Amino acid sequence: MKQSKKRYWKGLEELRNDPEFVKHADKEFPEYLPLDESKGNSSASNSRRDFLKMMGFGLSAATLAACEAPVRKAIPYVVKPVDVDPSIPNYYASSYMDGGEYCSIVVKTREGRPIKIDGNKRSNVTMGGTNAQVQASVLSLYDKQRLKGPVMNGEATSWSDLDASIRQGLHKGGRMALVSYSIISPTTQKAINELLAAYPSLEHVQYDPISADGILEANRASFGQAVLPTYDFSQADVIVSFGADFLGSWIAPIIYSRQYAQTRKVSPSKKTMSRHYQFEAALSLSGANADYRSQIKPSQEGLVIAQLYNLIAAKAGGSSVNTPEVADVKFLEKAAADLLKARGKSLVVSGSNDPAVQGMVNAINSLLDNYGKTVDISRPAYYRKGSNQAMEQMAHNLEQGQLKGVIFYNCNPVYDFYQGEMIGKTIVNADISISTADRLDETTSQVTHIAPDSHYLESWNDAAPQQGQLSLVQPAITPLFDTRQAQGSFLTWANSAETDYYSYLKANWQSNAFAAQSDEASFDIFWDQALYDGVVETSAEIAAVATAFGGNPASFAASIRENYQPSSEGVELVLYQKVGIGNGRQANNPWLQEMPDPISKACWDNYVAISQRMAREMDVTMSEGKTKMAQVKVGDQTLVLPVLVQPGQAYGTISIALGYGRSKAGKVADGVGVDVYPLVSKVNGYAAYYTTDVQLEILGDNYRIAQTQTHQTFMGRETVIQDAVLSEYQQNPKAGRYEPKIESYSGPTDPDEISLWKGHKYPNHHWVMAIDLTTCIGCGACTVACQVENNVPVVGRQEVINRREMHWLRIDRYYSSDAVEDLKEMENASDNPEVTFQPMLCQQCNNAPCETVCPVAATTHSTEGLNQMTYNRCIGTRYCANNCPYKVRRFNWFKYHDNKQFSDVNTAMNDDLGKMVLNPDVTVRSRGVMEKCTFCVQRIQLGKLEAKKEGRRPEDGEITTACAQACPTEGIVFGDFNDPNSRISQLVAQEKEGRAYNVLHEIGVKPNIWYLTKLRNKDEQEEINA
Amino acid sequence: MKKDNFLIGVFDDDAVLLKAVAKVRESGIRIHECYTPFPVHGLGDALGYKRSKLPIAAFLFGMLGTSLALLMQFYMLGIDWPMIIGGKNFTSIPTFFPVTFELTVLLSALGMVGTFMIISDLRPYGKAKILDLRATDDKYIMAIDLSKNNIGLDEIKKTLSGAGAIEVNEKHN
Amino acid sequence: MEVTSAVRKPLVTGGKTVHDVTVDVCRRVEDKPNITWFLALAASLGVLTIGLYSVFRTLWDGIGMWGLNKTVGWAWDITNFVWWVGIGHAGTLISAILLLFRQRWRMSINRAAEAMTIFAVICAALFPVLHMGRPWLGAYWALPLPNTFGSLWVNFNSPLLWDVFAISTYFTVSLVFWYIGLIPDFATIRDRAKGIISRTVYGALSFGWNGSARTWERYEAVALILAGLATPLVLSVHTIVSFDFATSVIPGWHTTIFPPYFVAGAIFSGFAMVLTLMLITRKVYKLEDYITINHIEMMNIIIIVTGSIVGVAYITELFMAWYSGVEYEQYAFLNRATGPYWWAYWTMMTCNVISPQLFWIKKIRTSIAATFVLSIVVNIGMWFERFVIIVTSLHRDYLPSSWAMFQPTIYDVGDYLFSIGLFFTLFFLFAKFFPVINMAEVKSIIKATSEKPAMRESGTTTQQKEEMESTSKEV
Repeated sequence: MKQSKKRYWKGLEELRNDPEFVKHADKEFPEYLPLDESKGNSSASNSRRDFLKMMGFGLSAATLAACEAPVRKAIPYVVKPVDVDPSIPNYYASSYMDGGEYCSIVVKTREGRPIKIDGNKRSNVTMGGTNAQVQASVLSLYDKQRLKGPVMNGEATSWSDLDASIRQGLHKGGRMALVSYSIISPTTQKAINELLAAYPSLEHVQYDPISADGILEANRASFGQAVLPTYDFSQADVIVSFGADFLGSWIAPIIYSRQYAQTRKVSPSKKTMSRHYQFEAALSLSGANADYRSQIKPSQEGLVIAQLYNLIAAKAGGSSVNTPEVADVKFLEKAAADLLKARGKSLVVSGSNDPAVQGMVNAINSLLDNYGKTVDISRPAYYRKGSNQAMEQMAHNLEQGQLKGVIFYNCNPVYDFYQGEMIGKTIVNADISISTADRLDETTSQVTHIAPDSHYLESWNDAAPQQGQLSLVQPAITPLFDTRQAQGSFLTWANSAETDYYSYLKANWQSNAFAAQSDEASFDIFWDQALYDGVVETSAEIAAVATAFGGNPASFAASIRENYQPSSEGVELVLYQKVGIGNGRQANNPWLQEMPDPISKACWDNYVAISQRMAREMDVTMSEGKTKMAQVKVGDQTLVLPVLVQPGQAYGTISIALGYGRSKAGKVADGVGVDVYPLVSKVNGYAAYYTTDVQLEILGDNYRIAQTQTHQTFMGRETVIQDAVLSEYQQNPKAGRYEPKIESYSGPTDPDEISLWKGHKYPNHHWVMAIDLTTCIGCGACTVACQVENNVPVVGRQEVINRREMHWLRIDRYYSSDAVEDLKEMENASDNPEVTFQPMLCQQCNNAPCETVCPVAATTHSTEGLNQMTYNRCIGTRYCANNCPYKVRRFNWFKYHDNKQFSDVNTAMNDDLGKMVLNPDVTVRSRGVMEKCTFCVQRIQLGKLEAKKEGRRPEDGEITTACAQACPTEGIVFGDFNDPNSRISQLVAQEKEGRAYNVLHEIGVKPNIWYLTKLRNKDEQEEINA
Repeated sequence: MKKDNFLIGVFDDDAVLLKAVAKVRESGIRIHECYTPFPVHGLGDALGYKRSKLPIAAFLFGMLGTSLALLMQFYMLGIDWPMIIGGKNFTSIPTFFPVTFELTVLLSALGMVGTFMIISDLRPYGKAKILDLRATDDKYIMAIDLSKNNIGLDEIKKTLSGAGAIEVNEKHN
Repeated sequence: MEVTSAVRKPLVTGGKTVHDVTVDVCRRVEDKPNITWFLALAASLGVLTIGLYSVFRTLWDGIGMWGLNKTVGWAWDITNFVWWVGIGHAGTLISAILLLFRQRWRMSINRAAEAMTIFAVICAALFPVLHMGRPWLGAYWALPLPNTFGSLWVNFNSPLLWDVFAISTYFTVSLVFWYIGLIPDFATIRDRAKGIISRTVYGALSFGWNGSARTWERYEAVALILAGLATPLVLSVHTIVSFDFATSVIPGWHTTIFPPYFVAGAIFSGFAMVLTLMLITRKVYKLEDYITINHIEMMNIIIIVTGSIVGVAYITELFMAWYSGVEYEQYAFLNRATGPYWWAYWTMMTCNVISPQLFWIKKIRTSIAATFVLSIVVNIGMWFERFVIIVTSLHRDYLPSSWAMFQPTIYDVGDYLFSIGLFFTLFFLFAKFFPVINMAEVKSIIKATSEKPAMRESGTTTQQKEEMESTSKEV
């Protein structure tokens, strides 16, 4: 409308041309806008600018508010404690002690909280080894079920009142007993002695949940001294074990496995290894590692040992004994022959608690003159001192009401002594009953006075695990609750001059350990050094023990004849300890409950293990842990447990794990499994961990056992498991290796040499790991260590059944199969299979398939060869996990922290106390994100930082992963591949053309983890039950 | 505003319309536009319209998509933040193919349709200039802008009905 | 009256005139919906609400509500995703490829088919979002957006990311294609509208369309080019979806045959779903004259072809597994056929390979009932195909130690129901408020016939025409 002459008015005013209007005509807004007077008229625009200012401010303010991070209150130290620096860990040498269980450890604390336990390399006893229980024990410190203070007659009270009432009670006199596990702490013993002195009518009774008093008795009969010998497996070329699971649970597994591993290590420079025979009923960890495993019934064990004795005596010129022959025991002659070949360099052990049998074993060892070489009776070990006779006597007196008072020192006989039920019923007969346990367990809940002891990480103490070996326990944290060390209590009740146990301990050391040594003049320096090292080796006088064998095989044989029969029709029950739960002391520790059993891969349960043949006969089949319940009748006792079909279980035997069925351990353990301590029987007057003539009946109802691995064999997949026998290896270092080649234009080529891509260099560091399948015994210490170090959540039974356990590091267990071609048949294990363990964790592939597929680049590769996971970028498509050939990625299906659904199992992430154990260097993952092994990147970063501060490169061994550190057999080597002198570079260099291989080599993902072939010391590769 | 007044020939058969268009144009009458319920083939040519240039637009937008996609991917993974992913090169054409293809198609399609909308003035709530409601049902409308023709009204009317229009009516607005 | 080529049967029967088309189609929109429609909508809404609960639980508690585990990280979620995407292929395919091939029989079905495509893609897109651990982030982190974390971009190497682009592009282009087609028909409805509401609504929707020859000219150009673009697009989408598996290292996934095999499968299931819906709509809306036996037969022929391609693909897979000599590959396929999930494999084989072969028989091919049943059977089969590929490949891959089984929970089922409910709800709403048949195109294939001007003068109703029809038959 260009041409149109229309005019528009701003309004009628303009049309009328009001003077008032004209005045403001030039302004946009006819009337004054609100603005401060000072600016006068001209500020219509001003006000607009003000408005914009306001709006701008408002906008930005709003934006800022939106960006604001949630406030976290952190309260700084008012007075900073010396040597506690935020984010800087402190380490304290100490000792793990639980009855006869002992391990010398180093405790890592952060901001004053113990968060990790590792082996103490300075100890000559445990030599830096640990096991799952030791690793997990740090969580027991933060157990919510611990008593918060003294209790009297069911009500909380003050220590003074408690002490008064106890003194009064004890003064009443009358027969009284102080019951404890084996005491291996000299100073504790001293304190107890003071108490005994103060109350003459008080007697000290020691027992062990898993008793070894038969061995003590046998040694008394053989050498006149009721002690345990120290075994040295490292010196043995031939090891024969009769049902002794010395790698898993027998007496001191940490020590033995360390020694054992030394004899099993093979390298181009040392092409020999020990040969291990195992004669047993239930497939134990040791049995799984044996070169030759033979299945015998426990009721035959004595006879078989006698038979071995005869075989050896015949050659070694001993008087043979007369016992009935056990028909065709596999490998017995072979074992005898090998033992004779290795006189003085062999070792025979038995898990039996029958003095006659152990005497027979002593006889064999002395015939082979192993004494002083692999068995040393002159340097006794103190792990087991208990006597069941004394304990039974105590129980009897209690029942008869002859005991006026009883003190339970950190022991729980009601649960873990076979007469516990009776004891539990009759504690009331005593006028005063005292317990120092840390929780209201089966025993403690029955007593009148509770003087809760502190956790060992809160305590001062010492230990003498072996003759001449001393070690200290020092607190890594002040007591969390109003607890008092039991020793302190004893001293108080004994009205001793010194009631502070710390000074008492120090004084005792000054007068003994310090006095015994001569190289250090000042006690303070000596003490500080001892605290620093955690251990002291005293040149204490060797106990005068007859090292000559004085036993009489014939008499042993006589009693063996009575108690064992060459063949039995009836089903026999073996009671064993699982590597994780052991005797059940730490049952309330979720890490141990969820730790899969090395053999059955089952957790959160105990069960009846039956042999495959038996399963076929009773037609029980297991798939995905789905199974039937079974009824076990022993005498008048009937138990109902799920059945687990266990390859390797001797036909006609079943086995059930001890340590389960706790009723008052706490919310984690209560009601998990069934208590089988009452089934402990007596053979030859000593506790025997098996029973004959058991009725087993399969019930109709279904059950599901939580297993982390449900498939048994490796389906003959040579890229996964590569194994050979020693003899082959000696000829050819590549024995058992499978080297896939890919057909290319230039002939068959190594998969690693075929790639579309140039790949990337790792200029600075290149982190690589090697795992020796031959030394790996499958104990699972690494699994728990990883869980502790990396805040890996516990998910509980149901979620494990759903196959959602979170372990970053798992140990795959594969059985051998009889089938060769038929893939369906290959799924079934042999009845007495070879077992191979394979620790499986993120392989940190250089060509990681998981990285390629992540849509948001949440998992990428570092310039140090690490496959890194960015939790806060992850959106949880799970594509990476699907595309992972090793299936090592773990997904947070639910929110595992601060979630009621998991508060009962995942205690480390759900209550304030438990959370104290979390490693502050590692994120707690949120729901819906993927996670996996990081090669402990937090440790790598710390190590690099430390080195950087000192302007050097990290030294080899300075940076190591939790699993490598925890491994009792040093089967895992970790280090910088770019450092030519590092152990890892050396190892891979020397094994590259030998045992080193990558799992799934042919798919070309180029893993950064090398496996060394599994070697078995067999004459030739043979099908065991062919 | 100038009033536009149209003469509207209503046909009931597309064939008839086609012939009519030819006839009417021969008689020198300038046809404003035809309105049909469905695309009548050859009508455009009959009315002497040039071929649409939309294909070119589609092509250009497609090219734009291709280059944007490649630029984006090379910039993000190659320049801005190179990451080691599965040991592959930081950038590689093969892996960029799918996204490039998709973006090409996307921009090409959207671009072309956008252009179409704009040039033919189609938009949500767009006001339609309707000369005869039946044009979207079953009638075929020929509109003749009288202001653009200096031939007499009756003359045109005659031509239309002669050409087969079933109705001829004037429309003024 | 069949003035279309003498040899070919008429694409639209019943002597419809241009006006009848308008009447027949618009009547669905203008009239009150019949009871059947209400029942159908109620049913699908019911399913939708049931599903809604389980979707809520899935989002609230986490993916743990599903039956997935450390070994099987995908199952029903991605199965449903691929299934829906597959179904979403037919629409665009029909309109695009058949348009390029000048297959005019497409015209009366493409509108509904395209609508189905769009709804299917919506359902498909549901699952990638739902299956994420953290959908509230994933929903936008999967896009290359500048963000506060600095220059943190997406991973263009990931097939999942390609999916994001492929699916969204496919959705957008299909939507545009569909809408462009709708505009003239909306205009028709607008111009017939009596009520103020419908006039404004359809006025708005019709974008001011007036059917001028010039616009039609451009319109046709646009349609043709869109078709040209959509054709490679539709083929690319399932190709890229198949990359999710083909580019992985998992035996049973790592297969170069996947792209063509997936595309064929997609068309296969897509056409089956189109048939299912067509047969329902046809019945409910009495559109027998527009969707004729001829159409159904055409579609069934395509189903035979694609079904056979799929069958060949299955057999090729088996052959390659054996021929490759890779033990994992061989085991993967042995396990499919004979392992714990054998039943899924054989369900797939029966439904996808054997059942479509029945269409060789003309009697079955032209029987409404048989077609309806088989179309559903095929879709069951195609669902199982994806289940087999995903689950049976994952549950037993390289390391036997982590072999596991997958059991669905009620939430797996519930979320699937949700998508089905959503799909049908959308479809029934579409069927009521949108012109289910592309009037403009159909009109263009009904040659106006000067024989019966009388009939066109008085806009006669269908029943009258039915009579006319019967009489004219005798002639």
